[in-house]
Amino acid sequence: MAANPKAVHNSIKPGRWVRSTCKMCLHSCTNLIHVTEDGIINTVEGDPTNPSNRGKLCPKGNSAIMRHYDPNRFKQPLKRTNPEKGPNVDPKWQPISWDEAFDIVAGKLKEALADDPRRIIPSLEDFQKMNIWVWPLAFGNFNFFQSGGTMCGGAYHPVNGYIHSAFAAANDAKYCNFWVNDGTGDGFSSHLHAAAQSYWVANARVDRGMKCVTVEPRLSISGAKSEEWVPIRPATDRHFALSLCHVMVSERWCDFAFLRRDTNAPYLVGPDGYFVRNAAGKVYVWDETVGQAKLWDDPTLGKLALEGSYTVEGKACKPAFQRFRDILAECSPEAMEKITTVPAATVRRLAKQLYDAAEIARDSKIEIDGRILPLRPAAYNYYRGAQGHKLGFQTNHAFKMVNFLLGNIDAPGGHMGVTLDDQWVEHGHIEPGENGMIKPTPHQLGPVPPFSWPPQTFHLMDYFPVGVHPPHLNLEVFMNPEKYGLEFRPDTMVVCHSNPLWAMQGPREKWFEFMRSMKFIVVSDIIPTETTQWADVILPSHDVFESWNMTMIEPPHTEGMCMRQPAVPPLYDTKSEEEIFTELADRLGVLDSYNQVLNFALGFVNKPELMLQPGIRYTDKEIARRKGLLWNGQDLDWYMEHGHAVTERRNDKWYRPWEGLRLHFYIEDMLKQRDDLRAKMDAAGVPYRDTWAWDDYQPLPTTRLDPVHEEPPEYDLYGIFFKDIQLNFGESLSNPWIQDIVYRDPVHIAFMLNPQTAAKKGLKATDILKVESPYGRIYGRLGLSEGWHPDTLGVSNSLSRAKGKLGGVKHAGGHFNDLLPYDLRNTDGVTGQPETVCKLRITRLDDWPQFLKDGGSVYDLVDEIALPGKGRKH
Amino acid sequence: MARYGMVFDLKRCIGCNACVVGCKQENSLPDGVFFTRTLSQEYGVYPTVNRVYIPTLCNHCEDAPCQKVCPSGATYTRPDGIVMVDPEKCIGCGSCAVACPYDQRTELKAESFKAGLFGTGEVTPFEKQGYVRFTPGMVTKCDFCSGRVDAGLDPACVVTCPTDARIFGDLDDPNSKASRLIRERGGRQPLPEKNTRPKVYYID
Repeated sequence: MAANPKAVHNSIKPGRWVRSTCKMCLHSCTNLIHVTEDGIINTVEGDPTNPSNRGKLCPKGNSAIMRHYDPNRFKQPLKRTNPEKGPNVDPKWQPISWDEAFDIVAGKLKEALADDPRRIIPSLEDFQKMNIWVWPLAFGNFNFFQSGGTMCGGAYHPVNGYIHSAFAAANDAKYCNFWVNDGTGDGFSSHLHAAAQSYWVANARVDRGMKCVTVEPRLSISGAKSEEWVPIRPATDRHFALSLCHVMVSERWCDFAFLRRDTNAPYLVGPDGYFVRNAAGKVYVWDETVGQAKLWDDPTLGKLALEGSYTVEGKACKPAFQRFRDILAECSPEAMEKITTVPAATVRRLAKQLYDAAEIARDSKIEIDGRILPLRPAAYNYYRGAQGHKLGFQTNHAFKMVNFLLGNIDAPGGHMGVTLDDQWVEHGHIEPGENGMIKPTPHQLGPVPPFSWPPQTFHLMDYFPVGVHPPHLNLEVFMNPEKYGLEFRPDTMVVCHSNPLWAMQGPREKWFEFMRSMKFIVVSDIIPTETTQWADVILPSHDVFESWNMTMIEPPHTEGMCMRQPAVPPLYDTKSEEEIFTELADRLGVLDSYNQVLNFALGFVNKPELMLQPGIRYTDKEIARRKGLLWNGQDLDWYMEHGHAVTERRNDKWYRPWEGLRLHFYIEDMLKQRDDLRAKMDAAGVPYRDTWAWDDYQPLPTTRLDPVHEEPPEYDLYGIFFKDIQLNFGESLSNPWIQDIVYRDPVHIAFMLNPQTAAKKGLKATDILKVESPYGRIYGRLGLSEGWHPDTLGVSNSLSRAKGKLGGVKHAGGHFNDLLPYDLRNTDGVTGQPETVCKLRITRLDDWPQFLKDGGSVYDLVDEIALPGKGRKH
Repeated sequence: MARYGMVFDLKRCIGCNACVVGCKQENSLPDGVFFTRTLSQEYGVYPTVNRVYIPTLCNHCEDAPCQKVCPSGATYTRPDGIVMVDPEKCIGCGSCAVACPYDQRTELKAESFKAGLFGTGEVTPFEKQGYVRFTPGMVTKCDFCSGRVDAGLDPACVVTCPTDARIFGDLDDPNSKASRLIRERGGRQPLPEKNTRPKVYYID
């Protein structure tokens, strides 16, 4: 760009541009960083050469400079001198040298490791650096205390692993013409590469006339931009999806050819729920053409039956599709309306609209790269709000069922599996499984611990064989260690870019007890958080402008590595995370083991010349270099010139990468996993095996209600929390530019309620409310909006921060996470996904409670709504 | 000579505020100062309710009331139509802020510069390199990133907008994307009854 020495606009002042990658959320938009002649970073723009974000950044990406120059950044290693720990207690930090810091930390970790490695509890959340996530595996530790897994997609990721063998999923904005968004901001305000996906979706909406329907308890950005907002009672999205399926099946609005050819829907299921197999283990189907059972791979197969009842090998059996039909019998829109409040007529109309838009009747095709593919341009997309429930696995599966019936799984215009990180260009994610089906890959984030009694993990991951880690159970077990048979207690915590005390559900006071039980806490981060307050030692890391990295994080329409490189030298006496954790691994005597873990986790084993060698401490730059080489054989100089290796997703990997295999319409593996776990628990005599959530394991989604609906009747409202793009993924609110936009938006400074509901309760806007769930309570002022389901009270994530040295963050009279349960009753027995909706009762108060006014809480007051001149300025 | 203007596509705008933050970044704006904003307005009654997101900035009016009332000549219009404020000449009287029917004028208060963006009483190196353009007390506004325009670039808010909801271009060129969109989708100017002849148009 042209530089102008007299310029007042930052981007055209004399300076240099550096190509790099954003880290204001976990995704990987690439950017251009402008450094002035004085070495000041004064502009960060999107990289126009990246086909993902195409020169654009979201508001968070635009505010990265404020993180770099945050005066609250940790400037050197720190040691606590105040032995008392608490949320409002000054740690009385004392600056120390790196040598002293490493001596202290390695000493404490060594002591724990020598005694019992399970005493260490890691909380390592940097999603752009999976190499740090896997650090505890170097000493066989599977403890887990970070929110990734529950507050993202505890059930979402395993179900995507079953259906697409992929980590995430998204509708195909390139061809989609009818897009349903359920409980997600995809394409509008959040989730996968928000800035990039908003661009693709805006083009589809405006240039191609794609219609959108948003199903959600609140009029979100997605709802506001859609042709139709369908308000729904919280935690009933599964029932809504099943009512759609009911109509589609009973009206025959389904892609039956797809179900017969590309899924296991015709596979015959016996009375025990397992497929009917012959002695050799081969599954039977029913050939309608000749009226007899045949094996699934019989070359003489005619038309396969999807419906009916048969007897094969002496067993009464039905095709898997018929089993689903049987469930749908009780899912009429009229029956489901009683649960969801969505009018039956709306469901019937939407089912028809989806069917018509999917072009099933005329069986549309499209040629892409010489392949003739089914074109199915209608799809059902969903994420956190819709999936984050106790019966998370079934809920995710129900949404997929709508897409199965539309025949759109991985089809152009349909519902696509989105891989997290392909590691190298040619790497396909589909492997053949048994009986002609794809191999399910529920563990998208690497290995999980094997079954063990007594449990080897503090959060009971031993008993969630297809789950993502359930970190909230650390609290359940901490409160009841004997009940769960724990023979150890973690007391040494290692934290890196993770803030569990903010992100974890359950009452803060109990989490504080958990933190107080730790003998030693080390935190690596860049700024103070709710969690750094508890540290004994702070190991300050470089920030995104000072370090190297190479990453690909679930981009919806693109693939390829994105490079981070230092734009400026470190401002302070900090180190890269790699240097910190490699140094610790070396001092603990597990460096060789760590390097070997990295060889597997980062995929270096697939190109032996890139494998890390024993005895060597690899830097952030060298790890980044090898990841780049693994991707496309290009060295760092190539990446420094190009910034990234991002291309649009290769069509052969993006569209129907499983061609010739069958998809898991019916997830028989649920029963195998259930019975396998049950057998192991029985053999080991696990005392709570009889009360384990065995009913959660279902091969097809059911209408069973989540327990949140069964709370005592005085809790007469549903509580949900929400984010918009300014708050998308992780910490934002210590950033003054983000504060300046968030706290001007009325939905982010009050508890939101529908005016009809408020009137019924005799409440008016700005009233002070006490909001109670069966698990906790919070305080705030009431805001009113017609854009809320009348059963629902909404709490923005902006009202969640504890007071402390958080750089000007404005505080709330509580945190929604305090209202949520952390127990097994509200945890999906399959995946570990906890319930993220709660039931509430609200009480009007004449004044703020005295303890809040006195500062006797970890929370301060947000009383912005009472201030004049705020209102709808934004 | 071009005559620059901007089109806001309300179908595309998702109210994300990337433009607002991008503008703060490009222009080194102190806390609470905005050259562009994204307003939102809810309308209707549940369940038939919706919300519209409305980006705003200085409309660079052909007949700019702020320029008419400026006693010092600080406000002037460049030949390419961009309405500018000369910090050397601005006396901070605030007449322009009163005259602007769009509430697009902001006084730069000395306290904002002193407190810094983090409110610590110190400014960051970023602020230090940026604040030299401002005279505390002056009344300022968006200048369509005139320096970038002179360098052949679009304004920062336009470049960063994730959905391409902001289209900058020459309104005198019938083939510019901005002109085409105004023509084809019926661009409307804000508050036409004020007769200010804005060079900003909205399409929906």
